Amino acid sequence: MITMLDQLAAAIYLTALLVAALAYALPRPVLLRVSVGFLVLGAVVHLATFSLFHTADPPIPLTDLPAAISFMCWIAVVFSLILMSRVRLEALILLVAPIAFLGTFFAALQMGNPAPATTQGSGSWPHVHVLLGGAGLALLGVSGLAGILFVIEYRNLKNRRLVERTVRLPSLEALDQVNRVSLLLGFPLITLGVVSGMLWLSSVHDSFWTGSLHETFSLMAWMVYAILLGARFALGQSARRAAVSAVAGFLFLFFSVVVVEVIA
Amino acid sequence: MKVLLVGMNHNTAPVEVRERIFIDDPAPLLQKLKHDPDIEEVVLLSTCNRTEILVGTRSVDAARVRLHSFIANDMPSERPIQGVEDYLYEYIDGEAMGHLMRVASSLDSMVVGEPQIAGQSKDAYAAAVEAGSCGPILSRLFQTAFTAAKRVRTETQIAERPVSVARVGVSLASQIFESLEGKQALMIGAGEMIELAMKSLRGAGLSSLAVANRTVANAEALAEDLGGSAHGLDELPELLERADIVLSCIGTDRPVLTREQYDATVERHRNRPIFVIDLGVPRNVDPELAELDNVFLYDIDDLGEIARANTGRRKRETERAEQIIEEERQRLEGWFVALRAAPTIKTLRARVEEIRNREIDRAIQRSKFDPSEREELDAITRSIVNKILHAPMTTLKREAEREEGLAYLEAARVLFAIDDEDESDEDD
Repeated sequence: MITMLDQLAAAIYLTALLVAALAYALPRPVLLRVSVGFLVLGAVVHLATFSLFHTADPPIPLTDLPAAISFMCWIAVVFSLILMSRVRLEALILLVAPIAFLGTFFAALQMGNPAPATTQGSGSWPHVHVLLGGAGLALLGVSGLAGILFVIEYRNLKNRRLVERTVRLPSLEALDQVNRVSLLLGFPLITLGVVSGMLWLSSVHDSFWTGSLHETFSLMAWMVYAILLGARFALGQSARRAAVSAVAGFLFLFFSVVVVEVIA
Repeated sequence: MKVLLVGMNHNTAPVEVRERIFIDDPAPLLQKLKHDPDIEEVVLLSTCNRTEILVGTRSVDAARVRLHSFIANDMPSERPIQGVEDYLYEYIDGEAMGHLMRVASSLDSMVVGEPQIAGQSKDAYAAAVEAGSCGPILSRLFQTAFTAAKRVRTETQIAERPVSVARVGVSLASQIFESLEGKQALMIGAGEMIELAMKSLRGAGLSSLAVANRTVANAEALAEDLGGSAHGLDELPELLERADIVLSCIGTDRPVLTREQYDATVERHRNRPIFVIDLGVPRNVDPELAELDNVFLYDIDDLGEIARANTGRRKRETERAEQIIEEERQRLEGWFVALRAAPTIKTLRARVEEIRNREIDRAIQRSKFDPSEREELDAITRSIVNKILHAPMTTLKREAEREEGLAYLEAARVLFAIDDEDESDEDD
């Protein structure tokens, strides 16, 4: 049931992507609204999947990597929808929906085979760590995706390559706002994720640091974002540089947290 | 009466020539032309891209000479324009009708689909009506042109996307800024082009603006019109600090906005994006500014290029618009022909009636009929005449609605010798 719902959510995300692509290709603004509708539906079905995690035998822990990735995708979709309700940002579907589809689809494939539990005896810290760190990663991911759109649009505007579009892309100002908000919300969340991870380690190993690859890269990623935050808000980094930094920062964060976790 | 259109536009004359015959208030010139013996009706359309004079005349040759002389010598230019004929085009009757419709529908604009020209055409017509220089012919012509423009606007997608240089500017602004509300604009210059562009930005929600000009009085007039503050050019550095959008169109031989000026304010500008539209020729803004982060600089060629790219994409819509104009032109031509058919039919019937009455009188005078039988004779002959004339009259009226109807009218005039003064005196 859980796998089926997860696959259904993945299919709806894929539909949202295809409809959004059609909206820009034809171009038909109404299709963009339909695409947003599909994304909302996908998020609802996706949420239903999480609500059934405890009914599985054995229950699926959120600390399981596929479940954590699925959760991050869901947070990214919900955060994007919230942003879309505030500013003209529907083009983000073209980037968020495929990632949500891939994350959810592969999570559905793996969900039947959960990895051996490594969280026994550590209380609720593992869940707090995944919830906070995952949410932070998702928000900074959206910031990176908005950064990609920003760089594309910025180059078009600078090179005067714009042609009039019936279905408009987001404004640079809106994309920059996404960058600011994502960074302001995402950084505290990954900070709390790192702290809760340390507390988790402490509860298991009586030490805040064991020197694992995951810990090392996570801390490096946190420091990278601390520098980006300082550059953005203290040194007055320009919107273009902030967008490029957001893309680079997220790639490093994704590598540090997810790729290193898989390799490890 | 013939319709003659003489004028110049952005395709035939450079801006240096066009601006010399640009007319802000056509009323005095309309009065002058109205009293010309060779001109029955006149409308004058003048925008930054064209000046055209449309007249109704009984003598095209005389009117043409008069209009050429008028444009060369009587327009607001400080001195007579040499070789003005090289820049002028002319259209007569059907071609003039089609041209006016293309103009009002924005198919002849620098940027196809721009909406301002429809309003400018209406203003020109209203000015002629007010001056009493627009008669039934030009009035009908303009009404049809407005109908054609409306059909083009509603039945095609030509005007669906923003295309005028000003509107391309607005569109670009919306790619940079989420909303123009709360944004501050700085206008450098106080001319018509900048006013039009700023009105488009105002229409898009721009809330605050400052006008800087060499002559502060002109800046004050425009600022009052658009609801902003007026300044001299010496205040540019302070104004630049607060500006999100800069719109410049001022006569100058060197940039009024330089890299050094911008660099001096960039700290206080706090890395906010700034959209700079340079409509000036020569350029008002140092092109080096385009290389800076967060500065989006577009000159008139950039905007025109984008607008033209949009025009290319709407080729199919343009073809449909041309079809609409042809339909309306043919309908109008039909009306003109019908206008000419009315006197022919009236004269023909009068001529036949005259013959019939004369023959009845003659028959009674020759005692072929008793005068008491006149009424009966009158009814019989009228019935015969009506039956004979019914088919040709109906055909003439029907064919007169079409462009080819003129040939039928000519044939009728020859066959019934309508133009022959002596025919009525011929005896049997």
